[in-house]
Amino acid sequence: MHTLLDVLASGVHDAKNQLFIAESQIATAEARHGIELGETRYAIEAAASRLSRTLAAYHVLRKGATPAVTPVIVGDLCDEVVLDQKRHLASEGISLTATCSVIDEWPLDRDLVADMLNNAIQNAGRHATYHVHLDARLDDGWLVLSVEDDGPGFTTLPPPYGTGLMVAERLAGLHVRQGRQGSLHLSNTASLGGARFELRLP
Amino acid sequence: MSLYAQKRFLVIDDQPQARDALRTIAQTIGAFAVEFASNYQDALYRIRNNTPDVILCDYVLGDGRSGQQLLEELRRFNLLPDECIFMMVTGEQSYEQVVSAVELVPDDYIIKPFSPDKLVLRLDRIMAKKEFFKDYYREKRSQEYANALAILEQKQASETGRSYRFEILRQQAEVKLISGDAEGAETAYRAILDNYEFPWARAGVARSLHQQNKLTEARAEIERVVADTPQFFDAADLKANICMAQGEADEAQRVLDEVAKKTPRNYQRKRLLAEAATLNGDADTARSVLADVIANDTMPGAVTPADRLALARSQVDAKDLISAEKTLVGLKESEVQNLDLDAQVSYAALLAISSPGRGKPRFAGLRPALMSAELSAASRLDILRSALTLGDHELADHQAEALLEGEEAKKSFGAMRKHYALHGREMDFRNIQKQVALKRIKHDTPAG
Repeated sequence: MHTLLDVLASGVHDAKNQLFIAESQIATAEARHGIELGETRYAIEAAASRLSRTLAAYHVLRKGATPAVTPVIVGDLCDEVVLDQKRHLASEGISLTATCSVIDEWPLDRDLVADMLNNAIQNAGRHATYHVHLDARLDDGWLVLSVEDDGPGFTTLPPPYGTGLMVAERLAGLHVRQGRQGSLHLSNTASLGGARFELRLP
Repeated sequence: MSLYAQKRFLVIDDQPQARDALRTIAQTIGAFAVEFASNYQDALYRIRNNTPDVILCDYVLGDGRSGQQLLEELRRFNLLPDECIFMMVTGEQSYEQVVSAVELVPDDYIIKPFSPDKLVLRLDRIMAKKEFFKDYYREKRSQEYANALAILEQKQASETGRSYRFEILRQQAEVKLISGDAEGAETAYRAILDNYEFPWARAGVARSLHQQNKLTEARAEIERVVADTPQFFDAADLKANICMAQGEADEAQRVLDEVAKKTPRNYQRKRLLAEAATLNGDADTARSVLADVIANDTMPGAVTPADRLALARSQVDAKDLISAEKTLVGLKESEVQNLDLDAQVSYAALLAISSPGRGKPRFAGLRPALMSAELSAASRLDILRSALTLGDHELADHQAEALLEGEEAKKSFGAMRKHYALHGREMDFRNIQKQVALKRIKHDTPAG
């Protein structure tokens, strides 16, 4: 009954519950005292997503893993990622912009894809000079989600893979539709001059 | 955030601290009032008596219950108006796997921890979607299916409709299925599958095929779903229904028994398990499962006279006539009078065996009707059982013939044969089978 995944999931679940309680208490304090503690809440959410990503890594790297695919409004997905990251980047002096030209609902694993984009934006934010840009568009029947920055670009290609990139690559590959399989592309071809992270989903 | 200032929230969570956290978030976005429910029963009670505008429900409710089960129950009893928002709150990834597979989903789900801003973003979107589908929901609710489909077609052609293209297809399929257009539903579900292999759409194909009585094809489709998505329990129920229709009650019982162990408090599933066990001749299982249903399905109005009839049936099959009599006599005469014809017939048939003094005259009084009326397969089996026991061959054979000619012949076949065998009349049953087969050949051969 209790597989390693169950044990890990239950631990992560409990920890995230605790973090949720902490975040809600901070929200109360903000409301009560009229103060702004957005960075503290961001730190809590970042810790929670780090936990989730670890679990997701274990989950998607297993044999026979399947993504949880539901129809997703791509513009909504972009809005959410921007909401998660914009304020924090601004505090570091970096602006985050987003464009989305995809109207059709798209089948994808909303939470894991959002987490991959969050992770890519965090990475881009660390290397960017002023600007990070998120873009969603269709290209020949593919949904292309990209994150670009105006930093120096990856020093080596491919760059060394941490948990985030490892999960992103595997997750992209788990998206299969009409005989086509998703993929991850990393390059220094950003129109902003820096690194480009690109998920291509069928 | 003022949008939520008029709204009443209900927070459902068995953990006090988590409940407080959810309340805080709801208050931060300006909720007008926030109520709590700490468990499943409490939540049902509050929703029944005063439906909130927004429900924030934790996926894990303790005591063997889940938020998903609550959602299913609310839909089953029609307690969730379209205007009410149901948001599942979850701390773990496993619920995503459930949502991506099943047919019955909440308006949305959100993963903890989340900020008040994120909740607002999600709630805003749900409201926009509900607004977009509002006129459609109204027609569907008043069962104006043609209008509902016409509205969906308009929406499909609109720019906003592209953002909901799968939802529109899904609604089209569902409306076609409930309005009896099983072929149209199958086409709609296949259009979804052409785009992506959603388990719920594959199950929809199986459901549509089942309704068209294409059992072998339906079985093949649902086997795929069950094998690929074991967390999709309703697919197992559908498989069991198809197995029963194919006359494989033993396989149906095996499948349901396995899933029921994982969902010990899903009493709809247990009812289905009892039906399979009864058809399979496993009266003991049927009896204990139904006793559990009647004792523990605490949702008001959930336990119906039909459940008591099913329990009495299993008690008769188990030869526990004293208990069967007690179960039947426990139904008030006024309740019996309010039953539909099929249930009244079953009541009389079962009472004739378990309490001959009271039951036989009642059953005899109905005999002329039983020889002519259109009845359900379950009622015909009950009549057949009693007629065989009372030695009324003509009445029993008439039911057997009607069952063998009917759409559910395969489903009732095993049970019929068993009853005839019990009374040493296997040969007679075989002769009835032959006659029905001959009649069918004559009927199928064009005259001249």
